Amino acid sequence: MTYRAGLALGILLGVLAGIALVALLLKKKVLDMHFDERQELARGKAFQYGFLTLLAAAYAYGVSDVVLGRWCDVLTGVSICIALSVCVFAVACILKDAYLSLQERPRAVMTLFALLSAVNLGLGGMYAASGDLMQDGVLTFRAVNPIFGAATLVILVVYIVNHLLRDREEAE
Amino acid sequence: MKNLRMKSARAGLDMSQQQLADAVGVSRQTINAIEKGDYNPTIRLCTAICRTLGKTLDELFWEEG
Repeated sequence: MTYRAGLALGILLGVLAGIALVALLLKKKVLDMHFDERQELARGKAFQYGFLTLLAAAYAYGVSDVVLGRWCDVLTGVSICIALSVCVFAVACILKDAYLSLQERPRAVMTLFALLSAVNLGLGGMYAASGDLMQDGVLTFRAVNPIFGAATLVILVVYIVNHLLRDREEAE
Repeated sequence: MKNLRMKSARAGLDMSQQQLADAVGVSRQTINAIEKGDYNPTIRLCTAICRTLGKTLDELFWEEG
C-alpha cells in the first residue's frame, strides 16, 4: 500500500469512527438535538455568525495563500476555518444559554469536551515533539488535531466561565 | 419590560422557575428570560404557561396601552 493510500484509508477510518461515536452519544442521550423556541432562535442567530465567520476565514485563508505562498496544507487551512466558525457559533450559543439542549447533562458534555481537547492537544504535542507538525516551514495536516483540540478547549473554557458568572449573577 | 405578573403567579403556586420550565417543556433560562422581559414567547408557549399557572392570557401577558 502506498503512503497516500494508507493516509486516505486512515482519514476515512477516522471519519467513520467519529460518525459512529456521535451516533452512539446521540443514542445514549449524552448528545441531544431538542431545543426550546428561545434556544432555536438564538441558535439561528449564532449559525449566521458562524457562517459569516466561515466565509471570511475561507477568503482570508485564500488571500494568505496568494500573498504568503504555501504556509499550511490545504486540509489544515480548511480545518482552521471550520474550527474558527464552530468556535464563533458555540460561543454565541453559550452566551445565550442555547448551546446545550433540554436533555443534555452539562457535566457529561463538558467531560466529553475536556477528553477530546486533551487527546487532540496531546497528539499535537507528540507531533510537535517528533517534528511532524511542520515540514519545510509548512504546517502539515497533522496540525488538524491540535487545531480541533484548541477549538474544543475554547468552547469548554467559555462554557465554564459563563456558567460560573451566571451562577454568581443569579445568586446576587 | 419585566413580566412581574407571571413571576408572582408562579411564586403564588410556590413553583420554582425550573418546575415551571419542566411543566411547559422549556429550559429554566427561557422562563427567566420571559420574566425579565428579555424574550417574547410565542402564543403557544404563553398558553402553556397560562394553563400551568391557572391564569388567562390577559392576566399574564396583556399590556395596557
